[in-house]
Amino acid sequence: MTVAAAQAGSWRRVAADPTLLAILAAVWLLLGLFVVYPMVELLMRAFVDDGRFSLAPLLESLADPSHRAAFFNSLFLATSVGLFGTALGFLFALTAVRCGLGRHWLTLLDAFALLPLVSPPFTTSISIIFSLGPKGLITHDLLGFANVSPYGYWTTALAETLTYFPIAYLTLRPILAAIDPNLEEMAFILGGSRWRIFRTVTLPLAVPGFANAFLLLFAASLADFATPLILAGNSFPVLPTQAFLQITGMFDFKGGAVLSLILLVPAAAVFLLQRYWVGRRTYVTVTGKVGQRSRTRAMAPWAAVLLVAGCFLVAALIAYFYALLVWASLVVAFGANNSFTWAHYHVIFTEGLPAIRDTLIIAAIGMPLGGFYGVLVGWLIARRRFPGQRAMELVAMINYALPGTIVGIAYLIAFNDPPLALTGGLLIIVACYVFRYSPTGIRATVALLQQIDRSLDEASSSLGAGTGETFRRVTLPLIAPAFFAGLGVVFIRSMTAISATIFLVSISWTLITVRILENMTELALGPAAAFSVFVIVAVFVVITGLSAVLVRLRAPAAGAAARSFLGG
Amino acid sequence: MKMLRLAAAALLTWLAGGLAAQAADPLNVYSIWPENYARPMFQEFEKATGIKVNFLRFSSGEALARVIAEKNNPRIDVLFGGPVETFAAGIKEGIFEPYKSPSFAKLPDRFKQADGQWTAIADDPLVFMTNGAFLKANNLKPPASWDDLLNPAYKNMLQMADARTSGTAVTRIFSVLEVNKRDEAKTFAYLKKLRRNVQVYTKSGGGGTLPVGLGQAGGGIFFIVDALETKAKGYDVVVSFPKEGIGSSAEAIALIKGAKNVEAGKKLIDFATSPAMQSKLAEHKVNFVPAHPDVKTEASLAEVLKGATIFPIDDDYAGANRKRIVDRWIKEVLPAQ
Repeated sequence: MTVAAAQAGSWRRVAADPTLLAILAAVWLLLGLFVVYPMVELLMRAFVDDGRFSLAPLLESLADPSHRAAFFNSLFLATSVGLFGTALGFLFALTAVRCGLGRHWLTLLDAFALLPLVSPPFTTSISIIFSLGPKGLITHDLLGFANVSPYGYWTTALAETLTYFPIAYLTLRPILAAIDPNLEEMAFILGGSRWRIFRTVTLPLAVPGFANAFLLLFAASLADFATPLILAGNSFPVLPTQAFLQITGMFDFKGGAVLSLILLVPAAAVFLLQRYWVGRRTYVTVTGKVGQRSRTRAMAPWAAVLLVAGCFLVAALIAYFYALLVWASLVVAFGANNSFTWAHYHVIFTEGLPAIRDTLIIAAIGMPLGGFYGVLVGWLIARRRFPGQRAMELVAMINYALPGTIVGIAYLIAFNDPPLALTGGLLIIVACYVFRYSPTGIRATVALLQQIDRSLDEASSSLGAGTGETFRRVTLPLIAPAFFAGLGVVFIRSMTAISATIFLVSISWTLITVRILENMTELALGPAAAFSVFVIVAVFVVITGLSAVLVRLRAPAAGAAARSFLGG
Repeated sequence: MKMLRLAAAALLTWLAGGLAAQAADPLNVYSIWPENYARPMFQEFEKATGIKVNFLRFSSGEALARVIAEKNNPRIDVLFGGPVETFAAGIKEGIFEPYKSPSFAKLPDRFKQADGQWTAIADDPLVFMTNGAFLKANNLKPPASWDDLLNPAYKNMLQMADARTSGTAVTRIFSVLEVNKRDEAKTFAYLKKLRRNVQVYTKSGGGGTLPVGLGQAGGGIFFIVDALETKAKGYDVVVSFPKEGIGSSAEAIALIKGAKNVEAGKKLIDFATSPAMQSKLAEHKVNFVPAHPDVKTEASLAEVLKGATIFPIDDDYAGANRKRIVDRWIKEVLPAQ
C-alpha cells in the first residue's frame, strides 16, 4: 500500500467515527488557539514591521553587546548547571542504589532532595543572599571572608544546581537501579579493582542517563528566570531576565519578543536532542532476574561512607536554607530584631488572602481541566491512529518545552487586543497552566497505556462499543493514576511557577508567587518567607493526598505516575 | 473523613465566594507606593467613604508600562503614588483624564500639573543611607557629598535602584543631572564612576534597604520614606544628605482616561490630595513629606530634613527627557565595569 493510500485509508476510518472526529477537532482547535496562535503572534511581532518582513530587529538585538553577553551567559550558566547538577544527581542516585542505606534514611534523603523541586521560586535565592554576602552567615560569620558579593555567576549557578539536581537524581536513579549489581560483582570476582569496575562497567552503562540528565538540567536552567532575577546581579545578565525587564519595565514588546526568540533556538535544540536522540535509547542491558542485593563488595566501605557523607552534607545545606526561611518568617525583622512573632503569617492570611484565594481558584479550575486534557491527548496519541498524530504529539509539547518567559510573552502579545482580549482575566492564566504543565499528564498516560494491552480496547470495540464508550468504560478507569498525576502537576505549578504567569497577572487575578517577588523587592522579607512556607505546606498536603489516592487505586504504574509529579 | 469533607466544602464555598467577589466592581488602582504605605491609606479612605479599593503594587516603570499597554481597554481608575516624572511621561502618552480636586488651588505650582493631569499627594526627597557598622569599620563619616560615594571604600558595596523599572532610579539620575547643571557629559561620567561601587541595581526603589540594614551592602541612595522605614525596623543605618543638594520628587495621583469608575476615582483623588489623608501619614509612620500646605511635617521627620539642601526635579524637563536618559543609562552605565 502506498503512503497516500494509507493516508486516505486512515482518513476514512476517522471520518467513519464521529466521536473521534469531534474530539480531534476540539483538541486541534484548543492547540491552535493556545499553542500555535501565540507562537505565530510572537514571531510576527518580532519579524514583521509595518506589514513587511524584516530581520532588522533581530540583527539589531544581536548587535547589542549586552544582549550578546546575556546569550552567552545563559548558555554558560545552563552548561554549568547541567554538569554540576548531573554530578550531584549521580552522587545521590549512586548512594541511594548502592550504599545499602535503610528505608527510613532513604526516605529522608529523598525528602531533602525533592524539596527544592516543589518549592516556590526564590526560596534558595533568599537564603543564599543572606548566607553568602559581605556580612553573610556563611561567608562572613562562619568563614570570616570580607567583601564577597552575593550576586553573580557562582551564586546563581549554586542556587540553580540545588534547585534542579533532583531532576538528574530522578533520571539516574532508575537507570543505576537497573544495572544488575551481579555484573559488578562478577567483575570483582574476576579480579578487577573497584575503581576499574566503576570506570569500565558502571559508568559506561550510565552514560545515556548522564546525557539525558544533562539536557534536562540545561533546559531547566535556560528557562529559569526567577533565580537570576534575584542573584545574577548586573554583571551577569541572562536572557530570560533581560526579556522580562524589557517587557515589564519598558513595555518594549518587540524587544522582548526578539530576546525570547534568541532564547528559543537553544531551548528547541535541546528539547529535540533530548527527545529524539537521548530519550529514545534504552539503558537496561541485563536481562533475566536482577539481583536484589543493593550492597555489593564492588563498593568499598570507605567509598560508601564518603558517598553517604557527601549526600548528607548537601541535604544539610538544603535543610539549613529552608530553616533560614522559616526563621525569617517568624521573627520581627530578620537580622535586626529577632524576637518571635506570628505577625507575618497574620499578614499573609489577611492582606495576602486575595492572592492565596486567587491562586487556589486558578489551581482548582486548572486541575480538572489539565488532568482531563492530559489523559485525553495521551490516549489519542497512544491508542488511536489518525492523520497528523505525530504533529499533535509535538505541538502538545511546545508550551512545555519552551522557557516560561517565551510562553508568557507570547500569550501577552497574542491575547492583549481584540478579538481575543484575554489578558487581565482568569482564563488566560488557567490556559497557560493547562497547556504548559499538562504534557506531564500526557506522558504519564502514554506510559500507562503502553503497559496495558491494546486487545482490551479491541475487545470492547468488537463487542460494539464506540470510541466514546470504550474510552469511558475501559480506558478511563485504567488511566486514572495518570489523571491524578496530571492534577498534581498542575496544582504544584500553580503554586510555584512564575516565569510565564508573571506576565499575565492583573488587578483582578494575582498569584502567590508574584506576591512573593513583590514582597521581596519591597523590604517585606517576613511576609515573603511566610508565603513561601505556606506554599511548601500546601504542596506537601496536596501531594500526600494525591499519593494516598494513587495507592488506593493500586494501579500498576502508580509509582511511576507519582514520580512524574515532579517531571515538569 | 466527615471533618475532611466539611473542610473541603468550606474551602470550595470560600473559593466560589472569591469568584463572585471578582464580578463586583470596586475601585481599581495601581499603587506605586509599596503596599505597607498604600494599604493604611486605602483603609482610611474606605473608613471615610465606604468605597473599597482593589489595588496591585508595581514599580513605577512597570505601572506606567502597564497603563500604556492597557490604553485601549483601561483596567484601572486611578494611578496612585510614584514620582512625578513617571506621570509627566504618562501625559505624553495621553493616559490621564484631567481632574482638579478641591485642594488643587491651594497647592504650590510644583505640586500640580497646570491642567490637572496629575496632583501631588506628598513630597519624597532622596537621601544617602549607609550602614552604621560599615562606616565605623571603614573609618568613614556618613557621605556628605556626591563625590564621597566614589570613595573606593564603597567598592562593590552600594545598592540602588535599576532605572529600567524604578522611579527612584530615575529621580536619582535627574538629581545628578541637576547637580551638574544638566551637563549630560559630566553627569554620565559621574554615573559611570559610581557604577564601580555598585554591587547591584535592584528592581524596586526600596530593594536595597534591607541589604544595607543587614550590612550586606554599605550604603545606597533611597527615598527618605524607605530609609526611615528601615531605621524604624531597628536596623543600624545612618541617613545623610549631599552638600551639593539632592532631588526630591513629588509623589502624584492621577485619574486614568477611560476609567470605568470615575466618580469613586475622583473621590480617592479628593481624599489623597487633602489633609484628610496626608494628616494620617505620620500616624501610620509613613515618612512622606505632606504636600498640602495645611498639613505640618511631623517633628522627627522635620528634624531629619533640617539643614538639608533639597531641590525639586523639574517635571517638564524630566518628562521630556526621561526615555532618552534612561536609554542612555542602560547603554552606557549599566554594562560599564
